[in-house]
Amino acid sequence: MVYYLIVCRSLTYAQRTAAALERAGISAYIQRSPKGVSSRGCSHSVKISQRNLNNALLVLRRVGLAPEQIYITAGDGSYREVSL
Amino acid sequence: MIYLDSAATTLQKPGAVSRAVARAIQTCASPGRGGHAAARRAEEVMFSCRTELGTLFGVDDPERVVFTLNATHALNLAIRTLVHPGDRVLISAWEHNAVTRTLYSIPEVEVLTAEAPLFDDDATLASFERHLRDGVDAAVCTAVSNVFGYRLPLAQISALCHQFGTPLIVDAAQAAGAIPLNLSELGAAFVACPGHKGLYGPQGTGVLFCFQPLDPLLTGGTGSESRMQQMPDFLPDRGEAGTHNVAGIAGLLEGVRYLNRVGVDQVERHEARLLRQMTDALGDIPGVEVFASDHANQCGVLSFRAEGWDCEELAQRLARRCVAVRAGLHCAPAAHRSAGTLETGTVRVSFSAFNTPAEVAAFSRILRDIVSNKLT
Repeated sequence: MVYYLIVCRSLTYAQRTAAALERAGISAYIQRSPKGVSSRGCSHSVKISQRNLNNALLVLRRVGLAPEQIYITAGDGSYREVSL
Repeated sequence: MIYLDSAATTLQKPGAVSRAVARAIQTCASPGRGGHAAARRAEEVMFSCRTELGTLFGVDDPERVVFTLNATHALNLAIRTLVHPGDRVLISAWEHNAVTRTLYSIPEVEVLTAEAPLFDDDATLASFERHLRDGVDAAVCTAVSNVFGYRLPLAQISALCHQFGTPLIVDAAQAAGAIPLNLSELGAAFVACPGHKGLYGPQGTGVLFCFQPLDPLLTGGTGSESRMQQMPDFLPDRGEAGTHNVAGIAGLLEGVRYLNRVGVDQVERHEARLLRQMTDALGDIPGVEVFASDHANQCGVLSFRAEGWDCEELAQRLARRCVAVRAGLHCAPAAHRSAGTLETGTVRVSFSAFNTPAEVAAFSRILRDIVSNKLT
């Protein structure tokens, strides 16, 4: 399944992000970021399905939580950064 | 026991507090350090507590909520962020050692005091304005005196600090949970609260609300940006090195939920009634000097002295009658100096939402009995 990872600077930021999405009816799941997407070391990401990305971006901009980095899964299990 | 020492720690807590602590010990691991269910449960506790605290104090952004060990830890974080060697710092006349000792530990800091008579708002504001006009680098002010229950005119003091561009640190150790506080409206740089007093959490919990960037007091693991050898530059991680007191925070969450459910304004009214009752009752006992306000700017705390009694001896006699109070200088010699009670100290009674008028009546009977027996 293809999904997006919104990489967040901290756990609390990820929790705020996920809470804002859930309030808007968008399923959001917090997980530790894969090592390959967190160049500064440990971080947390919010996982959303492919079909929800546009709505999620609208919601997050509206509440002042615009993401800095988003990754999409590739077919081979790796991640590719999405330009915003 | 008649427990009247809530200004030190509330002993009676909502039942959910101890249950949550036990549950967290059994089920919660380290938040932000793992992807497993036990870490997840801890993370949910932490975020829920930040959010509930935000609701209680009018703070929308849970990242501004930094967990600490207690109010002293929170004040150290705030003071050491804003105050640097050689600075001039203005404090109220009613500060705790958590403020004054921290300030005096910073080299060459000049500490100015906004001297004013006890319970005199006008004189307090005039004194603050005079010093602020002369120029200071930061101001620190307690919201409520831990010795006398004096509720300082905090909104006006904060407005004065804004007027003169002075960052304000608020010590809300006695105010948090006892009087309504909207921190977004207040405009302070930092607000420090204990978790174990009016917020009804366990000991070992505290909170610093941050409205400015924070310098870390401790450095170490945060579960974020682990490759970097500098502390993260974002909140709350910047102020929260090391594993959190998750069990304590789980208890604090239930204490704050209780307050959000009951309403701090309700607690404030309840404690105000008890204070009036206690003031009237003690005022009728010969030889007892009560430090009470005529201006409704006192809350939750009342100090008194009894003629011919050492305050510590009197507190011991009360303890033998199963009454818990606190005597001495209450870690606030500056406040006692301001009130003229530095040499004698006082006996302090302090309330929580769980005290009753019957306890106040019983206390005043016991005190009258002890004091009158010595006089005769």
